[in-house]
Amino acid sequence: MSTTPIMTVTDLHKTYGKAGSKQYEALKGINFNVNAGEFVGIMGASGSGKTTLLNMLATLDQPTSGEVTINQQPITHLKGNRLADFRAKEIGFIFQDFNLLETMTAYENIALPLTLQNTAAKKIKPAVEAVASHLGIAEFLNNYPNELSGGQKQRVAAARALINEPAMLFGDEPTGALDSKSARELLDLFTTINREQAVSILLVTHDPFSASYCQRILFIKDGKIGQELNRADLSRQDFYQQILDTLGTFEQ
Amino acid sequence: MLTKLAMTGFQKRWRDYLVLFSGLIMSSAIFYMFEALATNKAFLKQNTSISMVGMIFQFGSVLLTIITLVYIGYANSFLLSMRKRDYGLFMLVGARKGKIGQLIWLETLLVGITATIIGIALGSLLTMGLSQVLINSLGLTLHHLAAWYFPAALTTLLLYVGLFIIAGFFNLIALTKTPALKLLHSNDQPNRPKLKPVRQLVEVIIGLLSISIGYWSMANLDKLQLAGIGIALVTIVLGTYLLFNAIFVWLIVLLKRLPFANRGLNGFTLSQLSFRIRNYTKILAIVAMLFALALGAITVGMGFHRQVPLMANGTSAYDMGIVNTTSQQQAQIKALKPTTETTYHFKIGKKAVYYRASEFNAQPFATMSPVGKTQLKFKLKRLDAQKLTKSYERYQFGQLQGSAQQQLATTMVSEQQYQSLTQPEQRLTVFVTKDVVANQAALKKLAASQQKRDHALQGQVLGGRYSGYQMVNGMYSGLEFMGFFLGIAFLAMLASCLMFKILSGAAADQHRYVMLAKIGTRTSELNNALRKEIAVLFILPGIVGVVHVLFGLKMFSFIMIGSPYTGIWLPFLIFAGLYLIYYLITVQIYRRIVLQ
Repeated sequence: MSTTPIMTVTDLHKTYGKAGSKQYEALKGINFNVNAGEFVGIMGASGSGKTTLLNMLATLDQPTSGEVTINQQPITHLKGNRLADFRAKEIGFIFQDFNLLETMTAYENIALPLTLQNTAAKKIKPAVEAVASHLGIAEFLNNYPNELSGGQKQRVAAARALINEPAMLFGDEPTGALDSKSARELLDLFTTINREQAVSILLVTHDPFSASYCQRILFIKDGKIGQELNRADLSRQDFYQQILDTLGTFEQ
Repeated sequence: MLTKLAMTGFQKRWRDYLVLFSGLIMSSAIFYMFEALATNKAFLKQNTSISMVGMIFQFGSVLLTIITLVYIGYANSFLLSMRKRDYGLFMLVGARKGKIGQLIWLETLLVGITATIIGIALGSLLTMGLSQVLINSLGLTLHHLAAWYFPAALTTLLLYVGLFIIAGFFNLIALTKTPALKLLHSNDQPNRPKLKPVRQLVEVIIGLLSISIGYWSMANLDKLQLAGIGIALVTIVLGTYLLFNAIFVWLIVLLKRLPFANRGLNGFTLSQLSFRIRNYTKILAIVAMLFALALGAITVGMGFHRQVPLMANGTSAYDMGIVNTTSQQQAQIKALKPTTETTYHFKIGKKAVYYRASEFNAQPFATMSPVGKTQLKFKLKRLDAQKLTKSYERYQFGQLQGSAQQQLATTMVSEQQYQSLTQPEQRLTVFVTKDVVANQAALKKLAASQQKRDHALQGQVLGGRYSGYQMVNGMYSGLEFMGFFLGIAFLAMLASCLMFKILSGAAADQHRYVMLAKIGTRTSELNNALRKEIAVLFILPGIVGVVHVLFGLKMFSFIMIGSPYTGIWLPFLIFAGLYLIYYLITVQIYRRIVLQ
């Protein structure tokens, strides 16, 4: 495992509500790094601030103070076209509700990030087919999202997130809407992508099973990182047990 | 409690309700505007010499009713889609179906009646404003036009309330028969654009056939009479719809295969269009029809406007004739820079007015005589004394004289005879300017000064092109007014139809645009995408509408001087300008909804 950080987070704060009115501090100074090729999980109960944190990291929202860099680029003050281009080139998203465009076929959904950059049509087709066969959805490429199962949809979303070879892949409860078999398949897929293509992954979840696939887990509580778990050489089953134990005490 | 809940839903979605309300208000206002003319028998009788106009209005009424039906259908499904979630939620918390049904029915009716009443008020204001603007800018004379016309208001109210009662029942059934969970998660399902070559080929053939029949019957209106208009309306509406249905699907499937679809958001835009393809073909066919009607009406209105001076020029070769001009009048005539000014001398006897034949031989009198079958073209003839006495058009000379002379016979006498008459010699000055319309104001003053000296010199007795212009303008004002008025009303209707349809889908599109932004689409690209999508929806019916108008104008060739096609670029340009404004407004509102 490489030790150069792909993402650094320094003293991140987020306060909701205007000064003078009733304010709520969702993040109270978050610090951590993600190394290149690492598979990191962020866990926490509802309202712990984990989704807020993900939104800051994935440039979907701006922090009140603090700094985030991805691939050595500070991202917290990106705006307009530079923000759009950064999202298109450097990061990929997978959401709980898939966020596929239901007006387009799976193929068109996956190809979208490439057509957005006006990639030559000749290059698009092989790229989409390659990523689709890798994710096992080659046969569904001409289907519309409403003709696919949840697991298939989520793999199409993953293919769309990966086609640009992003520096960082963000997952927001990606298994939240899946049955256990599909969830297991998707997580296996994440592990393979992480190992084989060295894509750094940051997963936000409240589900211990999903988290057990990560190499490192940050526990967030009331806007702060409370605890950190490293999988090291533990088997996934043992790590799962360790997570359960930690959660048992952490939430008290 | 439920009523209170319903009201909070109302407040939360005021923006959507604003779209709904403004759409319905516009629609009922325009319907009222139309009915204000169509049901006003006195107005129609007074202002048109063509009996067919009344019937054309009847057809127009039927067509507008059909369009209103579809329009309210859209409005209702928009309302339904807005409320589905809320009502689903009420059911989930245990509200009784009967109670909910009552609420739905009440809400639909309340929305409908409020919008209709405001619409009628707005409609009568618009009728007043628009007719004032048209009357002033076109110099029209109209009688019996009432901005507030009770039968029109009643017709509008009855139709709309009736339709909303039906819509209310429809909503009641649709909502109470559907399980609560389905209401909560009712998402649009995409229409997979399918190519069914045989079916689409048949559609194209039938479509083209029925449009051809329509065009043919419009071109042969002189044989078919009223039936022609009916046939044309039915066949063209049907043909337009079938063509759109067949070609639109084809076009999108075809475009998606081109490399063009792989650039930027083009693929997304095409998918957006194909997503609602079924809904759009209906609205596009309607919009194409409205477009044709609106553009046609304005073009014909302008045609009549152009017609007036042409017809006036056919009534006489001179603008005016004045007996014994004063020096002041002489100066006024000179200021008009007449192209021809001739003075004939005469003496009045007991039974006849005696003119010097030699004067007419030296300066022949010009007349306009109609030529051709239609009697709508004129030839200028210059007549000497002998020819003038024999000519059928000698009345054109007679009318230019003073009122006293017009009672007597005109006699040409030789120089010798003339000198032997003992009566005092008088003068008749006739003149013609370059443009009777441009010189209207000065000619009016001149006529007034002469009328003060010769009180009987009113109306047609004044003679010449100026009084001809007054007469023809009075005759055609009604037609011109109807053309412009209906053109603008139809344009407003079509634009609000299209706008409403596009905007009612905006809420569903919002999350797609948010999603695109999340995966890194530049705002400028999003803007371009939505501009293109809406442009396609505006341009397609526009093209079809223009084709319809080009063929439809043939209908008017038998009541117009020259071709009804001369100078059509001007109404087309004006129309394109107005259409563009509607497009820009739609883009602006749509952007505000989806991009926020």
